[in-house]
Amino acid sequence: MALSTTSALQPMRSPNGRDKTLPRKRIHRLSVTSWAFMAPIAVVFVALYIIPMTQSVYYSFTDFNGYVSNPKFVGLDNYTHLFKDPSMLSALGYTIFYAVTTTILVTVAAIPLALTLNRKFLGRNLVRSAFFFPAVPSVAILGLVWGFILNPLGSGVLNSIIHSLTGLGPIPWLSDSTLAQLSTVVVTIWAQTGWHAVLYLAYLQAIPADYYEVSKIDGASGWQSFRYITLPLLVPAMAVSQLLLMTNGLKVFDLPFTLTRGGPGFSTRTLTQSLIEDGIAQSRVGAASALAVLFLFVVGLVVLGQMAITNALQRKYS
Amino acid sequence: MLDHTPVSRPRRKTFLRLTVLGTVLAAATALTGCSGSPGGSDADKTVSFYSWDNEATLKPVLDEFKKENPSIDLKVSYGTPVQGYISTLQTRINSGTAADVFIITAENKTEIMNGGFAKDLSGEPWIGNIADAAKATYTKDGKVYGAATASWGGGILYNKDLLAKVGFTNAPATWDEFLTLCKKLKDAGITPFYEGGDGIPVSLAALVGLQNEANGGTMDADIWAGKTSFTKTWTKPLEEWSQLFSQGLVLPSVAGLTGDQVTSEFEKGSVAMIGTGSWALGSIQKAAPSLKLDFMPVPGDSGNYWAGAVSPGYAINAKTEHGAAAEKLVEFLQSKTAVELFQKQTAAITTTKDFTPQLDPALSTMAPAVRDGKFYLPQVTWPTNSAALNSETVSLLQQLIQGQTTPDKVASALDAKLASLQGK
Repeated sequence: MALSTTSALQPMRSPNGRDKTLPRKRIHRLSVTSWAFMAPIAVVFVALYIIPMTQSVYYSFTDFNGYVSNPKFVGLDNYTHLFKDPSMLSALGYTIFYAVTTTILVTVAAIPLALTLNRKFLGRNLVRSAFFFPAVPSVAILGLVWGFILNPLGSGVLNSIIHSLTGLGPIPWLSDSTLAQLSTVVVTIWAQTGWHAVLYLAYLQAIPADYYEVSKIDGASGWQSFRYITLPLLVPAMAVSQLLLMTNGLKVFDLPFTLTRGGPGFSTRTLTQSLIEDGIAQSRVGAASALAVLFLFVVGLVVLGQMAITNALQRKYS
Repeated sequence: MLDHTPVSRPRRKTFLRLTVLGTVLAAATALTGCSGSPGGSDADKTVSFYSWDNEATLKPVLDEFKKENPSIDLKVSYGTPVQGYISTLQTRINSGTAADVFIITAENKTEIMNGGFAKDLSGEPWIGNIADAAKATYTKDGKVYGAATASWGGGILYNKDLLAKVGFTNAPATWDEFLTLCKKLKDAGITPFYEGGDGIPVSLAALVGLQNEANGGTMDADIWAGKTSFTKTWTKPLEEWSQLFSQGLVLPSVAGLTGDQVTSEFEKGSVAMIGTGSWALGSIQKAAPSLKLDFMPVPGDSGNYWAGAVSPGYAINAKTEHGAAAEKLVEFLQSKTAVELFQKQTAAITTTKDFTPQLDPALSTMAPAVRDGKFYLPQVTWPTNSAALNSETVSLLQQLIQGQTTPDKVASALDAKLASLQGK
């Protein structure tokens, strides 16, 4: 809206070179048109984001349990309790671990995969589809399927294979805290690498072939072409991909929950799980709202930091 | 773009006026449709019911109600227990659109009873038909807010053929005898015992139940009142229960198993005993009809006990405008006719006094105790914050199974959690 109005107010230059300002009436009509287009989404934004967010901030200072209409004001109690709760601190630690490791490892796996998928070979489209496939089914279904594969008993699919190949006893993939954390990260990498590789592939296909031909004539090695042509031109794709990975990682709930329900212990409990359980299952809407408000600030800070780094990289390579 | 509209200015004004008028009329009609008619003629002819059970289970019961009350228009909606039902009911209560009859259960009873969202049923003429344990579960300050018609029991379900291989004849009388039985099975190459790590295990619940009996049945109320603590009452049962893992009789892998995975292993004959509830029996028998099964209670040092709880109860919305019809529905749901139909559908251990259910022989030991209210489940008996404490307990027990903590630390962590929830 602002952009549209601003551009309409700019003096325009006619073909003969004289300044031509838009008539006031036309500006008004343009403004009304812009508002007409913006209004539906503005209503949705206010109704589904601004109002609930404001309510959350309000509830975070009360003992609201989801039922009573006149909750009691409790000041900062909900916020101070957050930092005393070991399960909450554990959830914070795991969520950051999950978001950071999946962002780094998916990026490290997706770029080489995209480079490979960008080459010509027989059945290329089929292979591209196969790698993209894990992004298609619901994450909850993936969690259930992987729960079956990683079943910690001897009857689990992976344990059966390992036993038949090596004779080893069952490995507690989802029953040991460390292994459960690693398992959730590995399944996420498996599920997301293909999607992000397709994103990188789109950017790779936009790089003119001339660049590589010239570098080849100049005697550049494969690594040098990648380092000085491909990688700099992939920085915008990395910005998009990593922003999505980081924000989705911080907000994650479905995959760890369907695999481990947050256990064993608190080892794979996420902040979003705490938020949902506190707010809905435990009728502690006030406490859950305090967590949501804090979480909003943390995600905002992390994303701003990440954008600053990406912008610096873009400036360096552009 | 607006310049090119084919509607001329006067016609556009008329069009706008008509649109506004139409919208106002439509909204007014919709709002009128939403509102009830208190005291009107409709009041006793309509009743809405938000069901906990699914449509297939409840259909014969509700069909019978409609047959007996043809003048009442019954509107039923179905929830998905547990979280889906609780959150939807919470939203509907909050927005003043809750059904006339809904379900009160362990997970929401504190909020429902404290908030005054359900009607007091203690004066209803049929309330004497409800089992005492069921009434006690949904009673606050002498007022009964829910009518539960069934309960479930939890104990050790065992495979008779596998236990026969180690010379099993009688159920263990003490916890030590139970551990000895597990050891015999393990030595014979049979996996002795599994319980899902996704909830408070029935074996531990029963051991704590014995402690509750020793404390005169008021253990949880005393903990909440500060007269005793989790450390003083839970440490011993936790020490006994954790011997299953410290003695290597049960693999720590169970920390990551769900109840369904445990049941599946039992159905395959891969494990001799599992801790489970009476509700699992039907599906196990259907999946593995050749298994010879029986339940035994959980043995402790001072006798044996069952885990279990009163099932969800029917509650009447305190703000209902269809009070007479709602009362008629709840009265019917606890009647002999309805309970018999419900029992036929669910094979539940019903507890109403005017009907004795015909149960599977595997429940013959358990049923009398359950109908008599001799069972215990901590998360149902805890006076407040049961969902928060339940979640905490499950996580702490998973740590205990892995050997990352000790029984006394689990108990003291529960004391700390309760203090935090009580704002201390």
